[in-house]
Amino acid sequence: MSYGLSVFKADGSLGFSTADVTWQTVAQFTVSANATVANTYSEIAGMTVIAQRQLVNVPPNAQEDYVPNVTISNNSQTITVAPQSGLTSSQCIIHVLAQDA
Amino acid sequence: MAYGFEAKNNNGKVIINDTIENLHFIGKATRTSSSSGHGTISGYSGSNNSLDGRVLHTYTITCSGTPVAFIKPVDYDRWHGIVKQSVSNTTWTFEVIISGTSTSNPPVLYCFVNADDIPVPSGETHGMIVFKSDGSSKTFDSRRQPLAITGGGTAVAPSDPTNTSGTPGTSTGHSWNYATNDHDFRSSNRYNANSDSSVNVSNAMFSCPSLAQAVYKRQMHGHKRSCGQYGCCCQDHYSTAAWWVMYRSAFRLRNGNFDAGWTVYVSGYSFSSVAEDGGWFGGGGGSWSSGSMPYTAKTINLQSNAYIIADSSRYD
Repeated sequence: MSYGLSVFKADGSLGFSTADVTWQTVAQFTVSANATVANTYSEIAGMTVIAQRQLVNVPPNAQEDYVPNVTISNNSQTITVAPQSGLTSSQCIIHVLAQDA
Repeated sequence: MAYGFEAKNNNGKVIINDTIENLHFIGKATRTSSSSGHGTISGYSGSNNSLDGRVLHTYTITCSGTPVAFIKPVDYDRWHGIVKQSVSNTTWTFEVIISGTSTSNPPVLYCFVNADDIPVPSGETHGMIVFKSDGSSKTFDSRRQPLAITGGGTAVAPSDPTNTSGTPGTSTGHSWNYATNDHDFRSSNRYNANSDSSVNVSNAMFSCPSLAQAVYKRQMHGHKRSCGQYGCCCQDHYSTAAWWVMYRSAFRLRNGNFDAGWTVYVSGYSFSSVAEDGGWFGGGGGSWSSGSMPYTAKTINLQSNAYIIADSSRYD
């Protein structure tokens, strides 16, 4: 690497390098069942943003559990989580990631 | 930023500063149980009874934050996915599905949490910490193996999980007691490939929760009319055979590709046969089933989800 930061483990092997990083965690939050949440992160304006969803505490085989929709807007700064139209939504962990493309 | 510390990579992207969170390695989750099944449609032994099978491994880890779990496959040819994540107090439980029926070669689950949720032993006094503007909470702590996400994007499984294309429906006009399945419920040919140069089949691990579910059902109705001599005293006989499979979306790592597909979660078969009571041919019939469908046949949560890739060897 020509510049950046590397962290080595006690045995001298590489543990972390900024040169390897392609996506960065921006935030992680939990949205309650049937809730609508909008969070804004000004530091990721204009970046490429993706959101990972993981349902929490729901049975996978006994009922219909619906994941909420995620919308990215406002020049990629605002993450809105809301139930799918006409459906209930289950509790969900949202993991927001950004890439300075 | 007006002051503080900032690190960028070779492309000038900000990787560390006082606002961007970094996940850190909390440990590998402990596998507590395994079960396997559904290599065939449960309860049915006729034609087209083959499924891909699945193994469910359960893992737990205790931590104060909300962990992001990465699956490190041991057998990269199989499909993997986290189908359930739950928490009780600070103990998190993950249910991981894998295609196939062998419980050997279980994957390893690497877990990561925010810097503030990582306990640091008192003896570790050297390293670098980046604090947020409040001066107390952290975005980065070099003493606890920060996560480097090396690849990622979004992925979604194809809309049809079964090798026989199209939705298996209900058909009538079959002979009484006819029960021969004509739909290939396996999923081995059904996936969407996502090109990703960070994926290899030696050290790569991924995080991508399984969101999509599908229940597919094939049903056949049979009928026979029996009449006595000279066409009198006719009776109707009816039969119904139904095969169903529930799927969860699952993922596979190939060199240069992240594949999004499906694997079976549960399956079942039911059969009923009824003859009208009385008359020349008597009543009778009966019915039985292996399990019950979780809900009516449909696909839900078929949406793109973010996937991320990392190098597991950095955390061994």
